[in-house]
Amino acid sequence: MSKNGKAGRFQRDTLRFPQKDFDMVKEGVISLVVAGVLIVGVAAIWKAPFRPAVTNQEIAKSQPVLVEQTTLGDLDGTGSIASYGPPYNNGFHGQAPQSTQSIFGFHPETWWGTPYAVNTAKDDVITPLSMLATASGNGSLKSALATYQSATFAQQQKWATNYANALNKAKVVNGNVVVPAGDYGPVAMMMNDELSFAKSGLLSGALDRESNPGTIYRYNIQNDLLFLQGAALHGIAQNIDMLGEQWGINHDEQAYPGPWWLTPYTFLYQIPPWSTSSAGDEMAAYSVGILFMLLVLLPWIPGLNKLPKVLPMHKLIWRDWYKRLDRENACEQCPLRAACTKEFKGAYTPDSDVSSLPCYQPITTPASAAL
Amino acid sequence: MNWTKSIRSTVSEKITWDNLLPSEQPIYVSSLVYSFGVFTLSSLVFCIASGVIMAAKGALWYQISPLGSFMRSIHFWSVQAFFFFLTMHLVGQFFMGSWREGRAITWVVGALSFAISVVEAFSGYLSRGDFFSQWNQVQSKDAFNGAGLDGFLNILNNGQVYGLHIAVLPLILIAFVGWHLVLVRSKGVVPPYKARTSKRKEGVSHE
Repeated sequence: MSKNGKAGRFQRDTLRFPQKDFDMVKEGVISLVVAGVLIVGVAAIWKAPFRPAVTNQEIAKSQPVLVEQTTLGDLDGTGSIASYGPPYNNGFHGQAPQSTQSIFGFHPETWWGTPYAVNTAKDDVITPLSMLATASGNGSLKSALATYQSATFAQQQKWATNYANALNKAKVVNGNVVVPAGDYGPVAMMMNDELSFAKSGLLSGALDRESNPGTIYRYNIQNDLLFLQGAALHGIAQNIDMLGEQWGINHDEQAYPGPWWLTPYTFLYQIPPWSTSSAGDEMAAYSVGILFMLLVLLPWIPGLNKLPKVLPMHKLIWRDWYKRLDRENACEQCPLRAACTKEFKGAYTPDSDVSSLPCYQPITTPASAAL
Repeated sequence: MNWTKSIRSTVSEKITWDNLLPSEQPIYVSSLVYSFGVFTLSSLVFCIASGVIMAAKGALWYQISPLGSFMRSIHFWSVQAFFFFLTMHLVGQFFMGSWREGRAITWVVGALSFAISVVEAFSGYLSRGDFFSQWNQVQSKDAFNGAGLDGFLNILNNGQVYGLHIAVLPLILIAFVGWHLVLVRSKGVVPPYKARTSKRKEGVSHE
């Protein structure tokens, strides 16, 4: 490419402009000190938000019926994770996945199969209760589990449906759930024992054990988090304005700033179709991705890449520079106007003859830098 | 072609002491806007320093001990300061059209650094170990899964999220920020939009 072509135009050296003294190290140190004083000072005064995580034990004690309803949903497949779909499962008992998001047939969620397999009936109920029965030598529970597992699916669903209806009329007596008499098979005992297990605090350990098979190092808390993710956590989140439709993640504990930089993303959840579509999360993720690509590719987007030139903000930012040009009356009055303009654009090197003219004050010589 | 010579000559041309530690700058650099970048970097230094101390003590320390909690507060406000100055820097650079005259890649690398910062901050929020982490972890799973990232990322696996937060994403972010700085320094700060001289009156106006 020629020197006068695109490459030449783009290689304008900022040293062609008048220079002034600059101490980068000093500026960096001052900035570090100022930022440090501000950050440490604010941290010392206001500390940082922290609301302890919610445990199964707490919910079991404060809302025992809710824990039994959650457990029952996991057992009979009516819970949202039971039938979620990839990456956790392929639905419940032959039922199609219920939470697979798809935009016009585009559903990357399903591309990877079920790498984080969850069978809520087995993982959240049968296995923890089997561990409890073994640990406590509880023969009745063992036999209840055997009865449930050997029953037909229709029978299991009948017991579960009866118990679900009964839970709507349940009373809490001394922290225990009491339901009217009915045909619940082994389900009533299973639910009550799971509640006791949760109250003891051991249910979390059983769930964490499943998410970290074959190791005592339990970094994965998937099943523990998923157990409460429905009504239990939604109820708490709603009280502190953290639901998605309440601008969710933008809100940290009250009076503390949240991750406000996610506002464009959170905004999408407030308006249709993102707020109403069953693929809202997928749509929001890709919408933000597209918006972000616009930001990245801004230098090449016609119109947008010229926008700052039209907007007046750059005049404010460079007001001193433009004032200087005004003060010097730049090139307007100059008999060598063309050469002067070229020099201002950085494309012209004044020669000694031109510089010696009385009407001409070069802006690129060291002497002018002191102006 | 000798790769060693090629790299050596490119580096010595692009990364000179004058570029890395300039003692002069163009006279048009005269605005508060120019300080947002360096304040963003300073905030990042405090993010990293407080984060390294917390990583050294382990994830429980900042949840249960007073000193750990104070360090977490410094980390929290460093992040708030970082995003505040980063946003101001981004907006300022937009108004200056700072991608002009061969600086498009500088803009792209800066914007990508912003995106990495957002993901890095989110993984930090999920590593806080409190209700905010718990709630946003179960909420965000639908977005991560729906976007198809479930093949790589189990957002409910705190071992993975914590590892991403304290090692993988910071290394990527630091690399991108370093790249951005080298580009900024090697190209110099973008010159002002040129003033347009007016023939309508004696003085000079610009737009």
